[in-house]
Amino acid sequence: MIAGEANMTDGIESSGINHLWGLEDRLNHVLKPVTPDPVFVNSLKLKLSRTPSVFLEQSRKYDGLHAILIGLAAGLLGYWLYRKFSK
Amino acid sequence: MKKKPVPVNLEITDNNAVKLASTGNAEAFSYLYEQNVKRIFNYIYYRIGSEQDAEDLTARVFHRAFGHIGSYEEKGVPFSAWLYRIAHNLIANWHRDNFRRREVSLEDQIDLPHLGDLPERMVERNQEQEMLLKAIRNLSPDRQQLILLKYLEDLSNAEIAIIMRRTEGAIKSLYHRSLISLREELEKIDKYNVLEK
Repeated sequence: MIAGEANMTDGIESSGINHLWGLEDRLNHVLKPVTPDPVFVNSLKLKLSRTPSVFLEQSRKYDGLHAILIGLAAGLLGYWLYRKFSK
Repeated sequence: MKKKPVPVNLEITDNNAVKLASTGNAEAFSYLYEQNVKRIFNYIYYRIGSEQDAEDLTARVFHRAFGHIGSYEEKGVPFSAWLYRIAHNLIANWHRDNFRRREVSLEDQIDLPHLGDLPERMVERNQEQEMLLKAIRNLSPDRQQLILLKYLEDLSNAEIAIIMRRTEGAIKSLYHRSLISLREELEKIDKYNVLEK
């Protein structure tokens, strides 16, 4: 087995595409695991241990609809005020 | 179906942690958290390129997992696969809600605090590394996921297939196409850099 072939057993197996092997080496070199900030890791662990089992996430699903409704209401109010004071 | 309660003072191991956590055992969940937090953070960090947002999304992954652990059913799939799937979905939402952030260059993130050994803070960082990370983030979400699971986690095609809910053959094929796409992305970036100069 030639050098570098070991990590190819699950990847590119055809010997006709050697040009991609250099890319795999580069990926191996660049993609190294990083260490998250220990303060973050510990504080999240603490938060999770204190959080009730049901966690309510804020939904952003209706943000757009809310914005439209508020805009519409503001427009109607403005129109009503304009009609009222223009008479 | 209601799950049977598990004795509280049982020793927590890889084999029983999920079962204990799903019955509300906080220590078991802490155990699962410690086993998985680094890998989930890494996965998210490399997908979005911002430490602060990676921390935020990592927290959301575990909050969501914690909130739904009671309904989690073991099907012979690693617990991490479930977390990766949650992370994958949250990243997709993050990109949808913050599409402008996709354009943030890696150079803008150099001075982030507490990065320690994060790639962009490494002294030996060079332009080639930046190009490669940028090219990876230009790939489709599935291709990014595959490459990160393979290189960060050193997972086999079979393990990745479980996480991505595909066959091993499909993963092998996707991997090959991902490398070709990555090479094309690198060529595009390279051409762009030449034109810029």
